[in-house]
Amino acid sequence: MAGLDYFEVEATEDGADNYRKIATTVLQDHNLLSIVEGLHLYIDPEFPLFVATGLIRPPRSAIKVSDVGNVLVQDGKAVIAVGDETYLAAMLKMLWDRLGHDNVDQPDRFTVIIENVEIPKDVENWIVIDPSESLFKDLIYAIQVIAPEGFKVRRENYGKNRFSYAASENTLPEKDVAVIISDCFEKMDKALVEGVSE
Amino acid sequence: MILVPITYKGGVFRLDEVIDYIEDLGGYVVQRHNIASEVVLQVLMPQADIENLKEFSRPLAGEIIDSPLVGTEIAVVIPSLEIHHLPHSACDVAEYLRANGSKSNILGMARGFGKRIAQLNDEERDLINEHDMAVYVLGNFASCIEKKFPKLRRGVTVPIILTGAPARDVLEEQTDPPVAGYVGGLGRFMHRTQTGEDIERLDAVIAEVEKVIAKRRAEIANDPLSVSPAKIQDIIKQQLPEIEEVYSPSPLAVQLNGLRVKLSYPKYSDIIRNLVIEDDVKIGDVADVLPSRMRDYVLIRIRPLSETNIVV
Repeated sequence: MAGLDYFEVEATEDGADNYRKIATTVLQDHNLLSIVEGLHLYIDPEFPLFVATGLIRPPRSAIKVSDVGNVLVQDGKAVIAVGDETYLAAMLKMLWDRLGHDNVDQPDRFTVIIENVEIPKDVENWIVIDPSESLFKDLIYAIQVIAPEGFKVRRENYGKNRFSYAASENTLPEKDVAVIISDCFEKMDKALVEGVSE
Repeated sequence: MILVPITYKGGVFRLDEVIDYIEDLGGYVVQRHNIASEVVLQVLMPQADIENLKEFSRPLAGEIIDSPLVGTEIAVVIPSLEIHHLPHSACDVAEYLRANGSKSNILGMARGFGKRIAQLNDEERDLINEHDMAVYVLGNFASCIEKKFPKLRRGVTVPIILTGAPARDVLEEQTDPPVAGYVGGLGRFMHRTQTGEDIERLDAVIAEVEKVIAKRRAEIANDPLSVSPAKIQDIIKQQLPEIEEVYSPSPLAVQLNGLRVKLSYPKYSDIIRNLVIEDDVKIGDVADVLPSRMRDYVLIRIRPLSETNIVV
């Protein structure tokens, strides 16, 4: 799959190919292909058990007000000339929360004006959105979509750059699942190291 | 008189004449779709007159296609209405059935997901049984389908077609007792069916459905119905003006041996029973007017000739 350095689906019976397709479509639809570096799915329909383990690339840096538009401070007013509308809604919400709804106005599509308050000096550097905050939430949501419906017993973990997800309709035997998860990570690490050394 | 299901495609120019022609020859327009300036009519037509209709509509550039699924109502049964089961396999199967002339309903179970925990409740079972047949769209693993399918088919008496990702012979081998049809290579997927390969799979579903419907039609022909469902549809349309005020896409859904009337049962059941078909034969004499489990609708089941000794 494009964007992923490692992608493997391991299943104890025929059907891994279908899950490969499902995972590709879901990650694509959720715009996560560029974020996930490696993904290993383990499926045992007999138990039944669904395990996903993955590695994540370093997340993109946070979006600041200056990334949304140029800030011009004049006569006690700050005018933001919006250049990129992608995060405009998030920026407005953040400004309203921090400066008050009455003091932040958007007279037209590309202009945001802050007035009636003291303009903070570092307003340009205020963070609008930190993609790394919601990254794991988005990832886990996408994995939930990939996993079979009805697997309500879940265990999800995420650390600095890796995550794991195990789900079943039966209770999860903690030790067995831990073994499977570490096994998946091992395979993934090994393949990635080999891939780099080649 | 054997009525054959066909689809008529043509423009709006002189369409009223075409409809009059069909009705004069004893045919029935079961459903009508207006698509921009094109009209698609789903028609039940006496076999002998199809050639005449072709002749009649030739100058109007009308197209007549055999479509065996016209006049059937088919349930597409899926384990749940969650994002896991809905886009796109079930939707595409249902849409493809519709494009081929059938009236299809998607039925998502309330607690049909999972393998061990899958359930089917009485309302769902009865609803499936109100259809002519059911297409089960299940998942990717043979062992899951093996455990799950017996639970989802419990009490279902209409013919079933089982679809899933495992190959057809795998499905056939593990299903006990056997069902009416199988389609392999479908299963759960999250992309739209656009490639030739995908469309082929949908075609396989249609081929299997047509086979089952043909068998059902042959069974019914052995002991013909006292009255054609299309005729009852016509009578309700003529004698019960309230049906025009129902805003469902198809207020009267024709089935192989009856029809669903989307009017309130408590209010209209007696009125429908007393509608006159011909001379002194009323709908209540040749058919059972029953409450449907879909909302409070009416379900009409036509009795066969052997029970009523009447043919109208």
